Amino acid sequence: MIENRPWLTFVSHATLIVGIGLVALPVWMALVASTHPASAFGVGHIPLWFGDAGAETWGSVLFEKAGNGVDTPVFWMMLNSLIMALGITFGKIAISLLSAYAIVFFRFPFRNLCFWIIFMTLMLPVEVRIVPTYEVIANLDLLNSYTGLTLPLIASATATFLFRQCFLSIPGELVEAARIDGAGPWRFFFDILLPLSRTNIAALFVILFIYGWNQYLWPLLITTDDAYYTLVMSIKRMLSVTDGDIAWNQIMATTLLAMLPPVAVVIGMQKLFVKGLVDSEK
Amino acid sequence: MTVTFPQKGLPWLLLLPQLAVTAIFFLWPAEQALEQAFYQEDAFGLSREFVGLDNFMDLFTDPLYYQSMLTTLVFSFSVAIGGMAVALLLAVMADRIIRGKLAYQTLLIWPYAVAPALAGVLWWILFDPSMGPIALWLDNIGINWNHYLDGNQAMILVVIAATWKQISYNFLFFLAGLQAVPRSLIEAAAIDGASPFKRFWTIVFPLLSPTTFFLLVVNLVYAFFETFGVIDATTKGGPGQSTTTLVYKVFDDGFVGLDLGGSAAQSVVLMGIVGLMTVIQFRYIERKVQYS
Amino acid sequence: MTDVILEKVGKTYPNGYHAIPSVDLSIEEGEFIVLVGPSGCGKSTLLRMVAGLESISTGELRIRGERMNDKEPAERDIAMVFQNYALYPHMTVYNNMAYGLKNRGVPKDKIEEKVTDVAQMLGLTELLLRRPGQLSGGQRQRVAMGRAMVRDPKVFLFDEPLSNLDAKLRVQMRVEIRQLQRKLATTTLYVTHDQVEAMTLADRLVVLNKGKAEQIGTPMELYNTPATPFVAAFIGSPSMNLIEATLGDKGIELPDGLILPMEVSHAHRGAIVWGIRPEHLVVVSEQEADFALNVQAVESLGAETLIHGVVGREPMVVRLSGPHLPEINSTLWLSAPKQHWHLFDANTQQRLSL
Repeated sequence: MIENRPWLTFVSHATLIVGIGLVALPVWMALVASTHPASAFGVGHIPLWFGDAGAETWGSVLFEKAGNGVDTPVFWMMLNSLIMALGITFGKIAISLLSAYAIVFFRFPFRNLCFWIIFMTLMLPVEVRIVPTYEVIANLDLLNSYTGLTLPLIASATATFLFRQCFLSIPGELVEAARIDGAGPWRFFFDILLPLSRTNIAALFVILFIYGWNQYLWPLLITTDDAYYTLVMSIKRMLSVTDGDIAWNQIMATTLLAMLPPVAVVIGMQKLFVKGLVDSEK
Repeated sequence: MTVTFPQKGLPWLLLLPQLAVTAIFFLWPAEQALEQAFYQEDAFGLSREFVGLDNFMDLFTDPLYYQSMLTTLVFSFSVAIGGMAVALLLAVMADRIIRGKLAYQTLLIWPYAVAPALAGVLWWILFDPSMGPIALWLDNIGINWNHYLDGNQAMILVVIAATWKQISYNFLFFLAGLQAVPRSLIEAAAIDGASPFKRFWTIVFPLLSPTTFFLLVVNLVYAFFETFGVIDATTKGGPGQSTTTLVYKVFDDGFVGLDLGGSAAQSVVLMGIVGLMTVIQFRYIERKVQYS
Repeated sequence: MTDVILEKVGKTYPNGYHAIPSVDLSIEEGEFIVLVGPSGCGKSTLLRMVAGLESISTGELRIRGERMNDKEPAERDIAMVFQNYALYPHMTVYNNMAYGLKNRGVPKDKIEEKVTDVAQMLGLTELLLRRPGQLSGGQRQRVAMGRAMVRDPKVFLFDEPLSNLDAKLRVQMRVEIRQLQRKLATTTLYVTHDQVEAMTLADRLVVLNKGKAEQIGTPMELYNTPATPFVAAFIGSPSMNLIEATLGDKGIELPDGLILPMEVSHAHRGAIVWGIRPEHLVVVSEQEADFALNVQAVESLGAETLIHGVVGREPMVVRLSGPHLPEINSTLWLSAPKQHWHLFDANTQQRLSL
């Protein structure tokens, strides 16, 4: 900053540390709670320091069953979540790349109409058309299936716009050079366009993975079979048991496991994450 | 001018997957919602009859719907303004710091990755009336906390959980906005004798206004549509209707109450609202593009 | 042997804009042709039509006798060097140069041989494993040329390739391009807006104005006998002095009543444009002078001096060799030798013989 005022710098650090503390507080509590046996809860307080039942709870939740009425182990649901998240991510990226490619590098009738149809998906989030979308999935016999979990969510106006922006910034001369070098549309797509969009794809991958992993309402609607439960939505099923019987230690362990992968992605790929966040809002 | 390939059929092939998914899972259901909104269907889906605008009439004469609108507004603006205020404070502090900025950023941005439903659960346990440490502490200082019974407290809980998740997003954008403020302007103000506090309010904050406006819109959209999980996992819209937002009501009336016509009519109204917000967002972004 | 033929080639854009009405040009094998003109004259469009990057609306393009109008750029056996080089940023120099050959299914060892050869010729051997981002402007320029050369195309196309280089490098690359082209003897079509570049590179020049070829000829033909006032003004620096005048019985009547006497042998009378190059004006004594120049500004360049002034109200530039320092507002007596006059019909803009 401009002038050197040690107390201001101190205040800044202090504020940030308090902020970080508050932000981390619930996770700290969850971590502590997951290390105590279920019987430690509901007696007027939550233990505030680590107990010794951690390994047992985490082990049973991960490999035996999540508990609280959900008999599937967390690792299985993690697998489901991973399939859904990756399916959505790859699906969105693939079909958006293709659409953006068509819209930017070809001229054909109704090009603008296609663009607007894709744009309209922005105006129709699942949340506002819950019932009819459910009916469509039911009609297509896609309840309790991986296809049902992923396919309906892979249309993406945001990703299409992002790639369109990215493609438009590629100099026309480069396309012409490729044409003179004998590259047809497919060769151009794979040899030039994809390598040049690498960072954009990676950044979008991070954002979409988080989006896919954190899907809640959709899996809640279309999965009734335990085998297809995803981790995030299973929390809701676990919370649905009658109030007094909630085994908070298991819920907290499951919650932490459910947030671990996306949080790890954000922290591990911070740069790409920030880029993805900023890009997808343009 | 962009250079294009001459093929005529290929672009359709390229667009086919996206258009098919859009048509089947977006346009068709939207059309269904639109159609359904004009019918009355019995709970078993066996018969339905055309009722014209009755569903909409019911909706707009239903005090619960207006209450839900009010709830949505209170919830959304609380989340947007609360989250932005906290994030701005943290971003201003982080912007002042020379060493360790990235470490602070790392420690602040991860809640973005937490699913809304999980955020709800995490805060629930802190506020649980019978055992949550914050609830018990509040009891100690004379505030009787029970979000199962008290609608306002339930609202505070969902606002906190929804805000918590969004702080990281706001923080990142505010920090980027702060770093884009030209140093020379701040230096000029310092030479003119303005204190750091004054500099912030007279120079930095006005220059941040595009970021602030952008975040306001994004946060409102978030609070409107993406916080379903927070509410569903914690309060389920209750107690009473005190945390039933418009989006939650569509779900609740459609799936729990099985009032398909009413739910569809609400969907149609919501589509109108999203449409409006999308237009505002894009209008604004277009203007931003012209600036740069 | 005639290599490239443009026959009444024209371009009309879908929005109705008539960019190029009709151009006729035939290029000999190994010839270096420069398309030159101000920006917006259609020179790049014409080049891109030859490349196949723009469609040809009317007329016909033939390369070695084969009609090319509907051929893809890759099928025309041409190579192009772009203004911004258009190197693939994610590929190494080697791969940039090899890409076109790979796409044509040339065997690997053959590609390697070819690329190594060309790299050697251009002094790029050390840089083959770098990416374009790690190269200087001049190096990128060379890679772009290398990419064109490895294919041994029938025709080289250059689209203002030097405009992104600084002045010194531009001169150096200009010489290099000329030498390479002589050595390879590949037919070349080169677009520039810089008349010095055009004059120094070209075997023949095509001066384009508003989509029309004003004149086609060798640099000296264009300099000595420009066909129109446009060419006269465009070729040569500083530009030719051009004055709107009238051809009367006694000679050329300049606007201020000044008359340059000449025997008017032919029938043409009326509005003309009279021109003389700054370097052809001679300082003489008052008695020998054709007119007086009122000095307004002097540019001393050392080897030569440019004197800007007015004759009556008409601006005129004189170019003298060596240093001269006339005072501002002083009078300089000038003679305009008749053999250096250029006369153009003011209506048809065509050159008139003396």
